Amino acid sequence: MVSKRAEQFLVELRMYLISKGKNDKEINEITEELEVHLMEAEAEGKDVSHIIGYSPKNYMKSIGESMKTDYRELAGLVPLMILLISAYLSIGPAIEGTFSVSRGTIWFALIITTVSFLGYGLFLFKIMPRFFQSRWGYVFIFCTSLIVTGLMVVFMFWYRAQNFEAVFVATPVQNNLIIILCAVIFIGAALYTKTWFTILIPLFLSMGPIATRLLPEETNNDPLYITITILVFLLASAVAIGIFIFQSKKDQKKI
Amino acid sequence: MADTTQMLKGILDGCLLSIIKEGEIYGYELAAKLESYGFHSFSEGTIYPLLLRMQKEGLVSTTLRKSTAGPKRKYYSLTEKGELELEQFINRWTQLSSSVNNVLNKRGN
Repeated sequence: MVSKRAEQFLVELRMYLISKGKNDKEINEITEELEVHLMEAEAEGKDVSHIIGYSPKNYMKSIGESMKTDYRELAGLVPLMILLISAYLSIGPAIEGTFSVSRGTIWFALIITTVSFLGYGLFLFKIMPRFFQSRWGYVFIFCTSLIVTGLMVVFMFWYRAQNFEAVFVATPVQNNLIIILCAVIFIGAALYTKTWFTILIPLFLSMGPIATRLLPEETNNDPLYITITILVFLLASAVAIGIFIFQSKKDQKKI
Repeated sequence: MADTTQMLKGILDGCLLSIIKEGEIYGYELAAKLESYGFHSFSEGTIYPLLLRMQKEGLVSTTLRKSTAGPKRKYYSLTEKGELELEQFINRWTQLSSSVNNVLNKRGN
């Protein structure tokens, strides 16, 4: 196991190389190689600065310069992100059977896409490396997700209240086709990025629209059921975060 | 230290190739070997950007092997191209060191 400082350096290096568009496989190789080195060196009482010098930034730069930029991977990621955001925005209305496109929708999608790209970049490359490995990291991630989700909901309400004039309204068959297309995008993205979140998040987001479509309106609008649902979701989120923290601590002990 | 690092640029490549020629070796061992030969005044991590470049240029090949703890170790061995490069380096170094020695000892033709 490496020291916290060494681990922090490895995380920062990984983020730096990702931000420079280096190949995933090569990033894994170099960070693992350096981890082995830091582990063995620290076991012999050496300090991180003995290995990477006194300017981690310069060292990261020299590593980055020796690796090729994977333009193919980068070129694939941008359209994938755009497809994913479009699918996230479309699946809810399609499940509810109310998918439509207006000028407002296009502007809304453009704003969400830009904000997501900026937010994702800022969070991944500037904020996350600083908080990684500290307890504040989990609090920070939780609060950020809460604020972002809250803002999205507020924005969604505002958007719905605008009643933009639709230029395209999907038929029931088209709504079902959109659901299938979104599912294909989510599964494809999960396979491409080798992560589950592109399937889990839409499943989570779809619960509301599915409930709207399947539950009778009087049940759906009953304050008691709404309160119970919110409490269940909060409890489920707390349990999920608990499991995540427990699992990461267990993994750390294994190393 | 910075001055020594500047002087080492270009020379370190040849030294790494020469050590790798002795047999398959992984990064940490390589740094330790360099230290045992008297290279104390540079950061050990300096070797990794060089190794990455040499790998890209096809001078060394790599294999991943399980280690006793932690991630797998990446072992380096010399390719034919690497051997050729080492030979050329030795020739260049012999000429250069002899010229530098001549200058320092004032032994002109």
